[in-house]
Amino acid sequence: MLLEEKVKDIIIQVTKVRPEEITNEARLVQDLGVDSFATVELVAAFEAEFDIDIPAEDAEKNDTVGKVINYIRQKVEEKIKK
Amino acid sequence: MKVCIFEDKTFTNFYPLSLTRPVFELKCGYFTLRERIQNHLEADKICYFMRDYLAPWFEKHYGLPANKIEQIKNDDMLFVNGRWLIQKDELELEGEEEVGLCEGAILYIRVKKETVEACWSEDLQEILTKLSKRLKNKKMESTLIKYPWDLINHNASQIKKDFIFLGKVGIEGGFSSGSFIVGDQNKVFIAPTAEIEPLVVLNTKSGPIFIDEEAKVLALTRIEGPCYIGRDSQVKGNIREGTHIGPSCRVGGGEVEETIIHGFTNKYHEGFIGHSYLGEWVNIGGLTTTSDLKNDYSGVQVYIDGMLQDSGQTKVGSFIGDHSKMGIGTFLNTGSMVGVGSNVVTGGGITPKYIPSFCWYLSQKFYKGSGLKRTIDMAREVMKRRGVELSPEGEKVLEEVFKITERQRKESIAKSRR
Repeated sequence: MLLEEKVKDIIIQVTKVRPEEITNEARLVQDLGVDSFATVELVAAFEAEFDIDIPAEDAEKNDTVGKVINYIRQKVEEKIKK
Repeated sequence: MKVCIFEDKTFTNFYPLSLTRPVFELKCGYFTLRERIQNHLEADKICYFMRDYLAPWFEKHYGLPANKIEQIKNDDMLFVNGRWLIQKDELELEGEEEVGLCEGAILYIRVKKETVEACWSEDLQEILTKLSKRLKNKKMESTLIKYPWDLINHNASQIKKDFIFLGKVGIEGGFSSGSFIVGDQNKVFIAPTAEIEPLVVLNTKSGPIFIDEEAKVLALTRIEGPCYIGRDSQVKGNIREGTHIGPSCRVGGGEVEETIIHGFTNKYHEGFIGHSYLGEWVNIGGLTTTSDLKNDYSGVQVYIDGMLQDSGQTKVGSFIGDHSKMGIGTFLNTGSMVGVGSNVVTGGGITPKYIPSFCWYLSQKFYKGSGLKRTIDMAREVMKRRGVELSPEGEKVLEEVFKITERQRKESIAKSRR
């Protein structure tokens, strides 16, 4: 499964929204109802799936599905370079 | 003679409460351990020694000198272990050079300045070790607080003694005509600016009740002595014997028994808190309850410095560090330790016995939560609501606690992901 698909799959598992709602432009809070608890669960799930570390402060900055995908892709690439 | 109150190496026994304060700032009875020592010794010159990261905060918060080694150079000294639950006439300022020992630990060292000079080091613990080997040892039977539940176990008896020590008796504040004292009326003190609403019962049959300045006891409250209600606190509900409620707390609904609430903490709704010690700036959500007795009445096991050990006690509640929040309906296991700045939302079920600092515990799993910066921002906001500023020194303490507790937090989170 591609990175983008994995990220969206995790978001679906945590938020229980319909797959068609997970567009790159979808806003996590306003469109997908991601509250502080769900944010924490998403961070944990992304860390476990991609074996990366996501500082709590970064979670707030990525407020759309697209930004989350780009962020995780960047983190995974950084990890590979190391 | 100068007095030096010091913190010894057992501070980890008192985690999480001692993560954000020296052990001698913990309370038992009306006072902190430090205040009790100061009350009994009445020394003109006192200095204080504690873990380095706490010293700047201590100096800022109390305006007292901390960890200034040069202060013990030029005086005859009386070093006093800050864990000592000192009682009247147990120790004199003046006397022979000697080391008082209790169960192998230093209670006090009385020593002349020349002897301090002969044993000099830039490290206080080294000085104390040298002195204890050099001077005459005197074994004493006394009370050295070893674990947090000791504070709870001695609380009721200390409240009784402290009532006599302060010597304040009578109703000097507002006492509504529809309220009653059951038992000896001379075991009540209501400070001039305290207020007791109608339909309050103060029961002194088991001990005295002290309601401090600006405190308010709301209607339909029952308070059972021995009990201390601190300055500016508001209480309602059923406050049972052996309870110390510190300054600026909001406590009510449900029941509180044999508990110390340090200060600036809210437990304003239904739920039971028993045989527990709550730090500062803790919020206890509605229907949160501590278990303080196992169903099989066996000894309660508690995490001390990361290791589960038998407390030897049948009744042990919860010990909750500063700035932690319990969500609605949190059921805390018998002998629980909740760290500093933690967030607990259980979604039903009993909590694990140990929740690390700065951790979120949601629906039976540990998470990183909102991180250090957001937790500090929230602490600042919460304190501002009570007109208290989070100082840069206080912020540094929280940052240090975050580092100290990192390993345990990561372990708990890793376990949740297996």
